[in-house]
Amino acid sequence: MPVRTAKQMKPTLKVTKSRTPNQSTSGVLRVNQSATNTRSVNSSVHRKSFTLAGDSKVLDKGSVQTHKQTVQVFDETGKDVTPQPLYQPEAGALQPKQSKIFTNHDTSGSTLSDFLSTAYQTTNASFAAPFTRSVFGSSSVSRSSQSTMESMNDEIEDPSSKKDISLSLSDVQVRREEIKEQIKEHMLDCMVDCYLTETETIWLLDMPALSVSMDSEEAEVVKSEGRNMAYQELCKNRLGNDKYMERPMQTFNGAPKAKEVQSDSISMVEKATMATHWDIYDSYVSDGGAGNAADGASPTKLDISTLHRVHSSRPLDRTMSGASAISTASTSSSRIDTEAFVVQGENESDPEDVLHSEKFLQDLLVMERAVLENIYQPKLAAYRQLPILPDPNREQKAGDERDGQDDVSLNPALERLWAFNCELTMGRNVSNMAWNKKNPDLLAVGYGQFDFKDQKSGLVCCWSLKNPTWPERIFHCESGVTALDFSTCSPSQLAVGMHDGSIAIYNVQSTEKTPVIDSSDCAHKHTGPVWQVRWVENEHGPGGEDKRETLISVSADGRISKWFLRKGLDVKERKIEDSNIYLVGTEDGLIHKCSCSYNEQFLGTYTAHIGPVYKITWSPLCPDVFLSCSADWTIQLWRQDLFTPILGFTSTHKAVHDIEWSPRWATVFGAVNEGRLEIWDLGSSILDPIIVSMARPGVKLTSLLFATQTDCVLVGDSGGQVSVYKLKNLNAGEGKEVNTLHDIIRSTLASQL
Amino acid sequence: MLEETLKRIQAHKGVIGTIVVNAEGIPIRTTLDSSTTVQYAGLLHQLTMKARSTVRDIDPQNDLTFLRIRSKKHEIMVAPDKEYLLIVIQNPSE
Repeated sequence: MPVRTAKQMKPTLKVTKSRTPNQSTSGVLRVNQSATNTRSVNSSVHRKSFTLAGDSKVLDKGSVQTHKQTVQVFDETGKDVTPQPLYQPEAGALQPKQSKIFTNHDTSGSTLSDFLSTAYQTTNASFAAPFTRSVFGSSSVSRSSQSTMESMNDEIEDPSSKKDISLSLSDVQVRREEIKEQIKEHMLDCMVDCYLTETETIWLLDMPALSVSMDSEEAEVVKSEGRNMAYQELCKNRLGNDKYMERPMQTFNGAPKAKEVQSDSISMVEKATMATHWDIYDSYVSDGGAGNAADGASPTKLDISTLHRVHSSRPLDRTMSGASAISTASTSSSRIDTEAFVVQGENESDPEDVLHSEKFLQDLLVMERAVLENIYQPKLAAYRQLPILPDPNREQKAGDERDGQDDVSLNPALERLWAFNCELTMGRNVSNMAWNKKNPDLLAVGYGQFDFKDQKSGLVCCWSLKNPTWPERIFHCESGVTALDFSTCSPSQLAVGMHDGSIAIYNVQSTEKTPVIDSSDCAHKHTGPVWQVRWVENEHGPGGEDKRETLISVSADGRISKWFLRKGLDVKERKIEDSNIYLVGTEDGLIHKCSCSYNEQFLGTYTAHIGPVYKITWSPLCPDVFLSCSADWTIQLWRQDLFTPILGFTSTHKAVHDIEWSPRWATVFGAVNEGRLEIWDLGSSILDPIIVSMARPGVKLTSLLFATQTDCVLVGDSGGQVSVYKLKNLNAGEGKEVNTLHDIIRSTLASQL
Repeated sequence: MLEETLKRIQAHKGVIGTIVVNAEGIPIRTTLDSSTTVQYAGLLHQLTMKARSTVRDIDPQNDLTFLRIRSKKHEIMVAPDKEYLLIVIQNPSE
């Protein structure tokens, strides 16, 4: 069987080879040749490199080696310590056995002395002599170590050479010069064949039995006494005998090897999110609703970090992530937040741009109103007839305020609440006031001069009750405003009549400063000041449209224009009550009753006044009764069917500029003359007004307006102020008023007749 | 228009201070000193967020428009928005 041998190289061993035909040293040769090498654990290449094709000759059992190489061993000092063979074995007989022994022999871990001893001992390989037994015993020891080594080297995967190729010390340095001579390049790539064969039976102990015939003299002795009996006794006593102890033995433990593995540290990141109700709703809505749930992975989903309110519709957005002390560490997946990062790349624009947003102006408005509400709260509450609660935080001064509040004056009185005033309107004459039909808190005030002198540009301000310090809308007109009216159908339209005869319609909803329609270019416009404009709901509008509103204006040039028809009359003022009949007051003091159907003629004339009629007003509660006031210091009460006044009221020697019926009480009306405001209650007295309020010094009162929802009166004066007064303690019931008025009229008439 | 309105608000009776802060917490307009402004802005922003969260939790289609805090001494009014915070402090009983 071909046997491969491996070469062992020792650091301090100088191994030389010489070729001698000495057969007797073949065993030695074999030993040295078969000595193993540095450990080659995983690489078969190593093994190959160490196999010596040149040296390993096929060793037959009976073959005679012609080329034998003698191995000489030198130690460090160069002394020849080649072990001399003690015993020259028979040629060929034991050689294969020896070689086999030593191919299996793994001297790893063995020292030089061991090697020498084994080399020494193998020369005496012989089965017969006890010396050889010790050799084999020692070799078996080393072989057992080898087997352990082999067991350690299980990872050797070469299937053909598992047992033969053995491993040796790793600290063995190799003197390669000799080896390099023998190892050729091509030999390294040669395949190594290893064969495993069964070794000869190795006798460890051989004690031939000695037999004695039964017939001999010694038989008796041997049988009864002697060692046999003793042995049998021993066997019997073996069980449970103290002499015999069980003793475990420890087997060899494999040497453990520690292997360390280190991986990258796993970084942990905490993520938290707060799923609030609105957050879920926002995500749902932004994803397009239930139908588009699949498209939820919108492309705008960017990295999610801080919970933040960001509005990204403005093109001037800036990075919003930083927001300082307010950002929390929770995350949100709503689109609003992700949009914040869409605009990160845009320019950092002026942070003040936020001020110019619409929303900001709106918020400012609301804020101003809130601030003012705090200031004017008691007044507004009085206006709206809410109970005024004392401020709980206000310290109660000892009894003074309380007394003032408890002092209930039984007399009807006016309480001044506040005034609409701002520096824009300062010095302007309030010419007209009108409530918005839809929003009872909105008041339009026209500023303009009545007289021909001192004509300034006119102004129309729309005030809100919620803000008495600044009007909501300001419209500048070219000439003084003399007439105002809000439309009913489209409540945001405000018709303004001006001193130069032009009429403009403004839309108060928008903040534009220019009128929607202007009649300046109209060919048939008025040439004199427009004294009154009125929107009329016309059931029978031209073209058959229903409920259309037309604008009718009266001007000093003698025309009542409906913007379709004219009237050639010298008119001053008029008021329409029902759609067909209307009254017109003139500068001469005549009041004409006219009808829409008759364009050229009037139906009747009421004569009483001497001076120009300034205002005619129907009673809102009594359909037949109307009042007229004029510059002749008088107020006349008329009934429609009588062409003479029923009652006349005079209080002062001043021209009465404005009168108005109270919307709530049929017997109450207010009048404004130059110096004062008068409230008349016909139920109490027909001779004197019940309440008189003096104007501020230097200011003339010019217009009057009753508040529709509450019992307040607005008075405009020539100083540009519109003061709001609350009527207190007016002891006029509501239901009986009409009857009272009729009674008064009847009684008066009766007395006259 | 904007500046006049702001000036008017500031000139009303009892108004102690007006602050406009942008979404990053930087005061744009203020009539108070810097430390007070920053303090108000930071605290009110948190409160506004909480208030808005409350309102929307109850009804997600709703949203907070105005917030008023009345205390013993002052009233703080906040008009919140996504881009800014408008704060006015007023002493209403003056």
